[in-house]
Amino acid sequence: MTAAPASAGEDLLAAVTATIGRVLVSVTGVGGALAALAAAAGRRPLRRADLATLRPLVAQVLARHRGFAAGAGVVLAPDALADAPRWIDWWWADEGIGQLQVDLDPGSAEFYDYTTTEWYREPARTGLPCIAGPYVDYICTREYTFTVSVPVVAGGRFLGVAGADILASEVERMVLPGLSLLGPAHQPAVLVSGSGRVIASSSASILPGEVLRLAGPGGDDRCGGDDRCGGDDGGGGRPGTMTASGPLPWVLLGGPASAAVARDEPATAG
Amino acid sequence: MVASPALTTVRARTLFTPLDAGGRADAVTRRLAQAIRLGLLLDGERLPAESRLAGQLGVSTVTLREALAALRTMGLVETRRGRGGGSFVRAPGEAGRLERPLRLLSLHQLRDIGDHRAAIAGTAARLAAERALATDVSTLREHAERLRGAAALTGRRRADARLHIEIAATAQSPRLTREEMDLWSEIGDLVWLPLDGADVTAAARDHDLLIDAIEAHAPAQAREIAERHVAAETARLLDLRLSLHRR
Repeated sequence: MTAAPASAGEDLLAAVTATIGRVLVSVTGVGGALAALAAAAGRRPLRRADLATLRPLVAQVLARHRGFAAGAGVVLAPDALADAPRWIDWWWADEGIGQLQVDLDPGSAEFYDYTTTEWYREPARTGLPCIAGPYVDYICTREYTFTVSVPVVAGGRFLGVAGADILASEVERMVLPGLSLLGPAHQPAVLVSGSGRVIASSSASILPGEVLRLAGPGGDDRCGGDDRCGGDDGGGGRPGTMTASGPLPWVLLGGPASAAVARDEPATAG
Repeated sequence: MVASPALTTVRARTLFTPLDAGGRADAVTRRLAQAIRLGLLLDGERLPAESRLAGQLGVSTVTLREALAALRTMGLVETRRGRGGGSFVRAPGEAGRLERPLRLLSLHQLRDIGDHRAAIAGTAARLAAERALATDVSTLREHAERLRGAAALTGRRRADARLHIEIAATAQSPRLTREEMDLWSEIGDLVWLPLDGADVTAAARDHDLLIDAIEAHAPAQAREIAERHVAAETARLLDLRLSLHRR
């Protein structure tokens, strides 16, 4: 397996990294505002009503990334608020803007335990921004989705995450022309997540959502263990974990080898 | 079995004050059904003899028998013949309340729901086996474990629904996932209606085999297990639907 060496490929990754990075910057702004709220409240615990001041900011995020970010908001750590054990303040953009309604009562039949999602769990664990996905988001967008999220910490205490949903189809729309234009030596060209999940591909024989079974640095048969944030990229970080200014944990593959890998055939380098 | 030989309490007087002259069978049915649902008549309680009850309600025995037949169909009254026989209250428990929606479905509709579920769950299982990562498999195992630990009907229904929705999500298909969600919100309560503790064990075994097949990247096997699982649940629902007429 070879990474596509063409500078065109690098440009492509840089472009998508920059676009997602801009969403990440917006989301970091929302997270900062939440941390500032908590700092201003001092010893008084935050209440749901306090979050209302974040909403204009969230609306700005959705307006700024209209058509790309499908939803955004903050998700509170359990017991971060005085008047709700769990809380989601998440908004989706459509014709207008609407608030996501989910059942947060653990005793209810429709209880949504967001603490188990990668976009919540990984920033909580690593203290770093994360890009989760692509995954089927059956709670908010009901589409194939990425979620970028940043941890929110105030006074050394983890308050929750701020984040935004990005539709996988929009990411594909952005990278597919570039993938197709890479030289013949790099076809088929495939963009995969850190765990080997196909994000976009220039060939109909390798489709988004499929897993490329790669020989990883740790001898695993996969790129990593996790299509969201987990796994091991062999560099000490995790495929889904990003630094605020760093590259996406994604890999651009090119050439006949990627097709061979997709079919579980032995791949010959070069 | 609770006996109430003399219904002379306030509750009995309230229940059995005579219906007006135009009192019809369905009015009697409604009144008794409401009393049972509100717990005024207790589960297992024997109703007074037909002639006496008819007299208390101020209706003819023919009208009362009509009402009792309706209550039997609703599963709220059970009539036993012979010594110690009579009409007994069957208070709807959690399962009893759920029997009503089942009554509204024909056998053909139930079979069709089973066909639809098998198509969605079978394809979702096949694609999940092709596309699952190790972390997806762990998530599925967590949900399977949650079902094993669920005590009440609502808990089982929720855990079962979530597991099947997660399998469709593991297939990386928003459309199949939405189909599973719609199906479970439509018939989720019904699926668990005929199942008891022993069935939880059987379902858990099916789920383990299914997740094993997904983990082993064995698409054909995963599909077959999912289809067989749905077929077994459909068969139990059909049996229950038929049994409603035998009560």
